[in-house]
Amino acid sequence: MSDYKKFDALVVGGGIAGMESSILLGDMGFKVLLVEKESSIGGKMILLSKVFPTLDCSSCISTPKMAATAAHNNITVLNYSEVEEIKKKEDSFTAKILKKASFVDPAKCTGCGQCELACTVPLLDQFNCDLIPRRAAYIAFPQAVPKKAVIEKFGTSPCTFVCPVGIKAHGLVSLSRSGKFEEAYLLYLEDSPMVGTLSRICSAPCEKRCTRNQLEGSIPIRNIKRYIADKHFESFPTPQKKEPKNILDKKIAIVGSGPSGLSAAYYLAKKGYKVTIFESSDKLGGKLQLIPEYLLPKNLLDRDIEEITSYQNIEVKLNTTVSSLGKLKEDGFEAVLLSTGTCHDKGEYPDVLKQKNVIDAISFLQNKESYEALSSKNVVVFGGNNIAMHCARVALRHKANVSIHFEKDRIDMSASKKEIDDAVNEGAKLVLNSQLDKLENADFIIYSIDPKPDLSLLKGSELESSSLKVNEFQQTQIPWIFACGDVTSGHSNILKAISTSKKAAFYVDLFLNNIDLHSEKFDDRLPAVKPNEIKERYNSSFPKHMQFLPHLRADKLSLEEIEQTISEEEIKKYATGCLDCGGCSECHQCVNICPANAIDFSIRPVNYEVEVDTVIVSTGFKLFDASKKEIFGFGRFPNVIDAMQMDRILAPTRPYNAVIRPSDGKVPSNIAMILCVGSRDKKVNNNICSRVCCMYSLKQAQLIMGALPVADLTIYYIDIRAFGKGYEEFYHQAKEMGIRFVKGKVARIEEDEESNLNLFYEDIEEDGQVKIANHDMVILSVGLLSNTSAFEPFKDLKLDSDEHMFVKEVDENIEPAKTSIDGIFVAGTSTAIKDIPDSVLHAGAAAAQAAGYISKKRRGL
Amino acid sequence: MSNPKILVFSTNNISDPGIDLAGASHMDYPESVKIITVPCSSGISPKWILNAIKGGFDGVFVAADGTDCPYLTDCTDRTAKIVEKSQELLTTNNLDPRRIKMAAICSVCAESFASHIKKFYKALSELNN
Repeated sequence: MSDYKKFDALVVGGGIAGMESSILLGDMGFKVLLVEKESSIGGKMILLSKVFPTLDCSSCISTPKMAATAAHNNITVLNYSEVEEIKKKEDSFTAKILKKASFVDPAKCTGCGQCELACTVPLLDQFNCDLIPRRAAYIAFPQAVPKKAVIEKFGTSPCTFVCPVGIKAHGLVSLSRSGKFEEAYLLYLEDSPMVGTLSRICSAPCEKRCTRNQLEGSIPIRNIKRYIADKHFESFPTPQKKEPKNILDKKIAIVGSGPSGLSAAYYLAKKGYKVTIFESSDKLGGKLQLIPEYLLPKNLLDRDIEEITSYQNIEVKLNTTVSSLGKLKEDGFEAVLLSTGTCHDKGEYPDVLKQKNVIDAISFLQNKESYEALSSKNVVVFGGNNIAMHCARVALRHKANVSIHFEKDRIDMSASKKEIDDAVNEGAKLVLNSQLDKLENADFIIYSIDPKPDLSLLKGSELESSSLKVNEFQQTQIPWIFACGDVTSGHSNILKAISTSKKAAFYVDLFLNNIDLHSEKFDDRLPAVKPNEIKERYNSSFPKHMQFLPHLRADKLSLEEIEQTISEEEIKKYATGCLDCGGCSECHQCVNICPANAIDFSIRPVNYEVEVDTVIVSTGFKLFDASKKEIFGFGRFPNVIDAMQMDRILAPTRPYNAVIRPSDGKVPSNIAMILCVGSRDKKVNNNICSRVCCMYSLKQAQLIMGALPVADLTIYYIDIRAFGKGYEEFYHQAKEMGIRFVKGKVARIEEDEESNLNLFYEDIEEDGQVKIANHDMVILSVGLLSNTSAFEPFKDLKLDSDEHMFVKEVDENIEPAKTSIDGIFVAGTSTAIKDIPDSVLHAGAAAAQAAGYISKKRRGL
Repeated sequence: MSNPKILVFSTNNISDPGIDLAGASHMDYPESVKIITVPCSSGISPKWILNAIKGGFDGVFVAADGTDCPYLTDCTDRTAKIVEKSQELLTTNNLDPRRIKMAAICSVCAESFASHIKKFYKALSELNN
């Protein structure tokens, strides 16, 4: 497509009219670009059951037309695309076209449909009028042309988007509700190591952004991850040795093994680099080792670390202090990553603290031997960060009387709200606006100020004089030294540590490949889907779900883990509450299964600009939304459906594979059809006759009688308008089949306890009385409205409309298809409601007009 | 031999969706059917058919487009000629020409496909006995 810049004609909309115009123009030798917004051409006709009055199979006669359109040498079909703007340029037009991202390479896709089966996200099937769901990865219908899968993604789901590490929270939830927990673990590892640790101590920003958080409460995403991690560790107590696909001959040194250092090692090892971790203590893990057991069990942390060090290209050097960065370079390390974290500089302590009974928080958490002495002592924890809360809660667990002192107000405390609340609930006394030199009755003081970046390594290096600075690529002043984690930003949290290490690893990789760091974007996620777009999709009525209640240990002051993992059954229940905000969850099941390797999530929307001589607008019609006619209960009563849904139920590619009613799957035995719903009705602002409803209802009635020979069928009508060739005969044929016709308007519908429906109607022909009839299914023969999206591309140019917002034919009696703009033509139902033969006829007229226009212009007339 | 193997040539746009629909609608037809999709039935070579029969298939079914072919107006005639030639080729190779069958299958002809295949299956079973 990108090779073409110029076409003779642009046809907007690939329904039956658009296809007909394109084929005719193509046959005349003109080059045509046909733009269709859905993934398949065919429009509404391909979805219909049969056509009236011949009762020919609609899909049998439109599939060849679709195939002929796509196979035509002179026609280029651009599906899944929208025309955004049409402008006049000298004596031709330029059109801006947006090809939506389908995340499937059509050149590779064979249409096998395996991605559909693997996909874990259900969305409503627009090609079955929302009667049943389809997957986010889908092929429109079996007869689709082109028969290629697309993946529907409205944007990144808010939960996934907000994660600084880029963990695909939505993917984990959608996999969990399908019971694919091991797959979820592997998906997690694609984005981040430390699955177990994060499932315990992550602050879960995903849950705060969850759309359900505004409703019953967030999906318990962290608890779902917790189950995923626990289940994996149960099946695999020790990780298997891992080897990346290709081991590179480049060495990288990582100094410090806290969460950022470990994660950076993981990301770089996955890419194949030979990584050496230097750790000055005797254990990997850094500050994670200080997190008390009741929050993060040590065996879990160890398992997470083993998962990382199971990479054969990671070498660990414990008890090794790096003395000089220059020496590392001499030893053959091509890049160094500083992740030394933070430490306390005792020189900065206030004088009051230079007493015997004062201990700094980090030393307190390290020296577990000292805890025995705490029993019944008065312990003062001075500080407002999370470390202080950990100290207080550890001391409480060793039976100390604990008070937390903080020199300012609660709002200034950096600890999370939950940590402070938990500490207070467990018995710690919170003293705000306290002063250190006025403490009394303290047997022990635990002093917790935020630790400072540990820059001891830089002494004697060229970085010493200036303090450590990193640019947007996590690169320091010395190009081959990168830094990540708390050493760059001061005391923070595990999410920041892992996210900066991921970024640093990304840019170290570019640096070592001599690629300009500006040339590639680190975070290439699609923008988050907006809350009002999600609301719109659900029509503002979100399905109800249950609120999550965490499972907590009863004896709160135990050293064992407080929060408990919930059962698989519960996980699945909670996960089904997910609203699938972004559409596709990026669970990557399709990527793993696709035999053609066709799925590529780096595909982005493409903008085309083409030059054309003429345009044919064939965007078709819209159906009246029956829920706007509230008296009929469409949308509230499951057995009240609209005519397009009925046509789907009768079509060869029907959703239920039988004629049944939606509420309970019962075969209906007493069906009603109500005509003129949303047409000839001033109350809904549409006083015109939709022309085709009488006939399509008669068609459906005959098909229902064919499918359910013993069913009773009543049609409530105002007039029957059977004007076309063979239409009157078709009406009589229906009458002879035993269909009952009642002349009269239906006033309202009520539902009984068996989901049957009571129709209140006026019987005009009998006695004019108001009567009640009971039916087990009601079909609303909805009217057809204009599709106003026809006007959207015309911004500077003015395309005139008639009073019903159809495209106006300026001289409709003698110049069919001509619009108010010279060179722009209209085909089919964009200009007025038509049945299929009339649409095809009109499309022919539009093609002839367009061809005449081009030839005339080329001959200089 | 009790379970004849059938090779089906179907077309991308027309007969394939019809056959697909037979499966999607859970229609019953012999499981020994294997399908190869081609753009147009007039592109099938008699040599392929001979090769299939020699290679162990009991019958070859050509699910043609009929008049629905998006490429050619005389697709049916061309495909019929290919089937005729294939039958001659089978005869000269001492194979029964009844092992080839052709029928037009439209994009929603699921039932018709299932019934054609069932009949063909029965006929092949009798040939094998």
